[in-house]
Amino acid sequence: MYSLHLSPEQRDIRETVRDFVAHQVKPAALKSGRLEARERPLLIDLLDQASQLGLRTLALSEDAGGAGADALTCCIVCEELAAGDPDMAAVLTQTWTLAHVLFDRLMAPGERERFLPAFLADQRYHLAFASDEPGRDVALGIHYHRSDIADASFGTSAKRSGDSWIVTGSKTRVVNAPLAKLFAVAVTTPENVTRTVLVPRDAPGLRVETSDGSGAWQHGAPGGITLQDCQVPADHMLGPDEGAALAFELGRRMPQDLALDLGIGRAAYEAALDYAQLRVQGARRIIEHQAIGAKLADVAIRLQVARTAIWQAAWASDHPSAVEDGSLPDLPLARMAKVFASEAVYQATKDAAECFGAMGVMRDMPLQKYVHDARICLHSSEPNSDTRLRVAEAIAGYQRTAVPALAAE
Amino acid sequence: MDFTLSNEQRAWQMTARKFAEEEVRPISLERDAICDPRETFDWDIIKKGSKLGFRTMAVPKEWGGRGTDFVTQALVMAELAKGDSAISKTFSQCWKWSHLIAAVCTDEQKRRFLAPFLEDHTFLLGKGISEPGAGSDNRLPPPEDIKAGLKLRAERKGDEWVLNGEKCFIANASVGKLFFIDARTDPHAPLRQGTTMFLVPRDTPGLRIGKVFNKSGWRFYQNGEMIFENARVPHANVVGPVNGSDMKAHEAGDRTGGDLFGDLELAANALGVCEDACAMALRLAHTRKQGARVLFEQQGVQLKLNRMHLLTEALRSFVMRVAWEHDHKMHSANPGLCMNFSTDVIQEVTELNLELHAAAGVMDVRADKLVRDAIIWTHLAGDSVQRMKATRRLAKEAQRLH
Repeated sequence: MYSLHLSPEQRDIRETVRDFVAHQVKPAALKSGRLEARERPLLIDLLDQASQLGLRTLALSEDAGGAGADALTCCIVCEELAAGDPDMAAVLTQTWTLAHVLFDRLMAPGERERFLPAFLADQRYHLAFASDEPGRDVALGIHYHRSDIADASFGTSAKRSGDSWIVTGSKTRVVNAPLAKLFAVAVTTPENVTRTVLVPRDAPGLRVETSDGSGAWQHGAPGGITLQDCQVPADHMLGPDEGAALAFELGRRMPQDLALDLGIGRAAYEAALDYAQLRVQGARRIIEHQAIGAKLADVAIRLQVARTAIWQAAWASDHPSAVEDGSLPDLPLARMAKVFASEAVYQATKDAAECFGAMGVMRDMPLQKYVHDARICLHSSEPNSDTRLRVAEAIAGYQRTAVPALAAE
Repeated sequence: MDFTLSNEQRAWQMTARKFAEEEVRPISLERDAICDPRETFDWDIIKKGSKLGFRTMAVPKEWGGRGTDFVTQALVMAELAKGDSAISKTFSQCWKWSHLIAAVCTDEQKRRFLAPFLEDHTFLLGKGISEPGAGSDNRLPPPEDIKAGLKLRAERKGDEWVLNGEKCFIANASVGKLFFIDARTDPHAPLRQGTTMFLVPRDTPGLRIGKVFNKSGWRFYQNGEMIFENARVPHANVVGPVNGSDMKAHEAGDRTGGDLFGDLELAANALGVCEDACAMALRLAHTRKQGARVLFEQQGVQLKLNRMHLLTEALRSFVMRVAWEHDHKMHSANPGLCMNFSTDVIQEVTELNLELHAAAGVMDVRADKLVRDAIIWTHLAGDSVQRMKATRRLAKEAQRLH
């Protein structure tokens, strides 16, 4: 059964979010004072509204009080949000992903009872996952096709002390750090086991550093956290296997990050297509010139092929059996989509900006923002040079002993 | 074939390199980071550079300038651009119009305008063509619409011309003291036959500078609005014949200096940016380690460095050839092609540099700046109109030779 139909629910939520973005988000996000990369405060009120629409809990199961959306639906929603404001899309995607991972899959019933009601009740309750550490080598690079992989343990440690865990260390590039009320923190125990511990924002010894934005090459609300003898109850530690499960679930998330990128490209494309049908040079609307027509066609082609790859990767993660029964090839579809989509969207935003002439580089116009935002996507996660090498390892059937930091897909 | 530089060319290059390293580069990032586009400019660097001759180096010796050749100018632009692309452009913008003055102004005009330009370290030049409704139409006027192109109107009133209208994106608008302004003097004629060029001093009554554009790259470089409200310009300031401001026609004599310098200018500037990016990437590859080994050991890194360098060296060859051809008064489509090529090269090279830094976990502010500066080339040097223009010139040259 081969079908590319979206479900009525998927089409409905796309319309709802598209409408919300067109009428609420875009007018606020595209105000001329807000188009500079370094002057872009989060649209907190709109995040609240998005939360009321159920987007904060989009992927949380219906049993737990969410919408239970699968990965493809999350991609559809994320693209729509990012077409209005990528920062908003990044914040919500992180929270809805972690809501599903933590509440539906990883928390013991006791923990879930402790955290879930507060999470559901508070529109501004966001979640964060703290993994990256300053100076920690997570690159593939020289380890390509070699088994001598870098030490995967974290510098952040968790030691047991009576009924508590004592967590010490610092984390960087933590998406949602300034907003999060609960952090899932990757740590290494004295037995050199990698695990994940839950740290509430008010835990003593936790300090959040809000990024000043200038060096922040990430969408959303990134920041750092420092844990100094931070004490949390013993049951806040997720089980040993669950850390790996968390990494796996965050890998499923990859298509959603790509959908965010795609939303940026679409915003640029729509702006250029509109403009090309209005602007007259050379005695015609510029879309009637071959040069601009072919360029916009390239933009549309790149975005549509990227969307196809992203949706296929998302759908594959929703339907593991499709690989098992041979419907889909056993390939690293998400990584393949990432390399293609991130490069295609960046080029698409540049081409779209070119249609605007000099206005394409002005900071009070949105086009330079789209180019900048797509460049952030190109460089904010694993570099494509590494992603290509991981694809190479996969198609060669190369296996290395699973290391959580590398098992993200 | 002889690629050796003369002692004089070498001396200019070394002076520029030292100035770029010691004076330009140290202020480059701090100027780029300033949010208000009116505040990014810095008179100190202009005065220092002017004292070394970088503002006036294109003025012929017989008029009191340095009289450098195009090869020297290309070398200096590239060296200054290694320090900061936008600061280099601010200097070379003055050369562009020095060439024009030398080529087309009367001796009386030269006396009136070159002397103060040479004396005053803060005397900058600019030229106004673009208008809100006229960008590509000025470069490739459509034959089917004679009204297409710039709209700024100039009407003769006795010994004066009265200008009304608006220019945008004008280089040095907020800092320049003298501008070449293209205005429509015959609204019923096509652009090329109905436009006249005027010398317009900054203090012309009725001329007002509007906003300074807030660009994502080339932040030091000032592009602004010029608003003309009954601005009065003496007839003595008309450049060339009335209705004869066709920058692309060669009837007026050798125009190599005026418009074709602009093509060389962007390509030579791009070369400097590419050299900077190559040096940054090499330094990173030799110093940054993964595990215990420097990045340079990785094949993927070597292949990127290879691409960056081969493009940069190809651009260098092309730029120097075009400069040499200018010096030998050889006309061809090469300057335009070289400028188009420089767009592709500067963008790929600076993006590879950023990619290498980002992949190494280094979000380098300068690597990002170079990419933002490079994007400017799309709209000046490498958009489809600029490419088609070079192609049409190619066809014209081929016809001429038949």
